[in-house]
Amino acid sequence: MKNRLRALRAELAWSQAELASHLGVSRQTVNAIETGKYDPSLPLAFSLARTFKRQIEEIFEAEPAQA
Amino acid sequence: MTDQEPSQNPAEAPVDPMFTHPASPFIRTEVPTPVAYPSPPNPTPPAAIYSTWVTYRTQIEFGLAILAYLMILVGSVTVVQANRDADWRYYIALLPVAPAGFVIWLFVRALTRLDELQRRIQMQAFAFSLGATALITFGYGFLEGAGLPHLSWTYVLPLMALLWGAGTGFFMWRYR
Repeated sequence: MKNRLRALRAELAWSQAELASHLGVSRQTVNAIETGKYDPSLPLAFSLARTFKRQIEEIFEAEPAQA
Repeated sequence: MTDQEPSQNPAEAPVDPMFTHPASPFIRTEVPTPVAYPSPPNPTPPAAIYSTWVTYRTQIEFGLAILAYLMILVGSVTVVQANRDADWRYYIALLPVAPAGFVIWLFVRALTRLDELQRRIQMQAFAFSLGATALITFGYGFLEGAGLPHLSWTYVLPLMALLWGAGTGFFMWRYR
């Protein structure tokens, strides 16, 4: 899944550690989500959406299905 | 009889009796002069109280529990070896299990405090550790049948812990 997390975080001028602290997760988790190595759970995705005041679809974009 | 047009001039409009009647609760009054109340004091953010104990609490508790385990283990072994024929030696020999159980409790508590990615990493590391330990111990069991020296089964847990640590490092690296 692709996401705009890095860009949204840059808009707020937050570091990964600051976002992680806000979400109650580790900095490594924020980094793994940003790099697309880890897809967050639904509760964490909702927390991210609330943090950035966006819809989940505005942050995450599903990869096109493989035919 | 002609209908009189209502006057458009507000000054000539009929006065609303609601605001003019002496007993009206809606009577217009002067706006009271605002009283300058002092602003409520800004809530002072709580001072950071992250002492070494708070920041490294789990690690310190782990360290203390393992220290207690080692001290009780040495004491228990010493006492049991000095009293090989006593009936109560079994109870003394089992004493190190108590601090070891405390270590396990701390360990489980630390696991429940992890976030979702860290839990996934730990789950993968445990799976790797369990599988690799099974493979190694089975493999060495076959080698023992072929003539290699017998090893105590107490090596299994340290081996599992070693592989768990290696697995944690590997899976953490994969998510970097």
